[in-house]
Amino acid sequence: MIEPARSIGALTARAAALAVAAFFILGPLLSLGVWSFAERWTYPSPWPQRLGLRYWARMLTGDFLDPLYTGLIVAVIVTLLALLFAIPLGYALARLRFAGRTVILLAFLLPQAFPQLPVFASATREFYRFGLAGTVTGVVLVHLVGGLVFAVWTMTAVFRALAPELEEAAWNLGASVTRTFLTVSLPLAVPGIVASALLVFLYSLDEFTGTLLVGAPFVTTLPVYMYTASVGYELQIASVTAIVLMVPGALLLLLLERVLKAEYLVFFGQV
Amino acid sequence: MLAAVFLWPLGASVAASFAREGQWTLANYATVARLYARDVAYTIGVAGAGTALTFALAIPVCGWLRLRAFGPIEFLLKVPLFVPFVVVGHALRVFWSPYVPSFSSSWAGIATALAWKHLGLAALLLLGAFRGTDDAYLEAARQLGASTGRLTRDILVPMAAPALAVTGILIFSSMLASFSIPLMMGRGGGPQMLMIDVYYRYGQHGDFATASALGVVAYLLAMGAALVYVRRLTR
Repeated sequence: MIEPARSIGALTARAAALAVAAFFILGPLLSLGVWSFAERWTYPSPWPQRLGLRYWARMLTGDFLDPLYTGLIVAVIVTLLALLFAIPLGYALARLRFAGRTVILLAFLLPQAFPQLPVFASATREFYRFGLAGTVTGVVLVHLVGGLVFAVWTMTAVFRALAPELEEAAWNLGASVTRTFLTVSLPLAVPGIVASALLVFLYSLDEFTGTLLVGAPFVTTLPVYMYTASVGYELQIASVTAIVLMVPGALLLLLLERVLKAEYLVFFGQV
Repeated sequence: MLAAVFLWPLGASVAASFAREGQWTLANYATVARLYARDVAYTIGVAGAGTALTFALAIPVCGWLRLRAFGPIEFLLKVPLFVPFVVVGHALRVFWSPYVPSFSSSWAGIATALAWKHLGLAALLLLGAFRGTDDAYLEAARQLGASTGRLTRDILVPMAAPALAVTGILIFSSMLASFSIPLMMGRGGGPQMLMIDVYYRYGQHGDFATASALGVVAYLLAMGAALVYVRRLTR
């Protein structure tokens, strides 16, 4: 039962509700935009005293580009590794009944359920013993924790959503489990795999806590760079970085709104 | 992989919280009680206020959207899902700073920023639950003259009570464990969020044992979320 708005009063109420929602949701994001152009803005001036492109020009220097490249490289490696594990594991979890299935699913939920910071602090200590702290390898490993959680759960959901009849037909014609997986299930799952890869990629690109702890002091990605800028009261630099960090997520929201299923979105909200 | 990078460090931090200089002891918890009791209460308060604020906004809006679909607002509610935590913290800091400079690092500022970020998740879960409610009940009440507000309060909320409880637990636990938002909002004087304490205790004081004890307190407080996940899985 959904009622369309008919009267002028109802339409006005809708417009007002939209204006209020837009202010509260988009307002803070727009203020990032204003700050990124504010060359001078001191309290209590309600508006920047001087606007300019000085801080956007800083984007072209190594200060900004190095963390961007590092983050992209880490995100690509994390995405590939996570999918390499998650595609076969997700298929097994979706299709096969085996001992320990529930335990595996539970293990892949724990990082989602527990506060991550104390665990990552502990992981950093362990990493020091193996020379992994402050290295890209260490950062990849810590991103893989969250990346695998997303990848395994989305891939399990993707394979569970495929009609089992197609696989049964292949088995009946004498194809092995492996051959059926490679020639039937895998091609059908490609859209889901792409969605899963995008989620993991974005998660890695935006990951902050693990990178701050494990990567320090040598590996800097954009979220860490943004934090450093903000601690140094360079609010404009942090705002420029924040805007850049929002671009991939905004593209995903706009392009994949129809493709992404609600259950993937739920995972996303917890990044 | 997961065992090496998550389960082992999790176990190691629990073990470390009971040890000091090679001896098994509760001394770390005594330190937590002595120095951080106020911060634990503060964290619970901020997470509680943030959860309450999220619901205060999400319930009426989702009730309204359930009864009178309106795409643009539904789209806006999804936006926070796609904004990274660090960016949320910074955006809400600079949003207030030119006008009310001290707001962002106050408890109300942190609770507001946490509510902003969790609004997307709350809306997604609540709309799903509200849309699962049978139209017949709503139709009957509407015939008897019930308004959108009454329909939400007297039909949608009671019928979606289990989903509301689960959403509340997940959001509360996530807020308790929040680190990047309070960190980006800046440190005011006075009490701090628990994760900030863990970070400084470990990073600046190098006191891993006390940091771990603080971590275990956080694990226990967030146990509700773990139980929700376990129940979902075993059902």
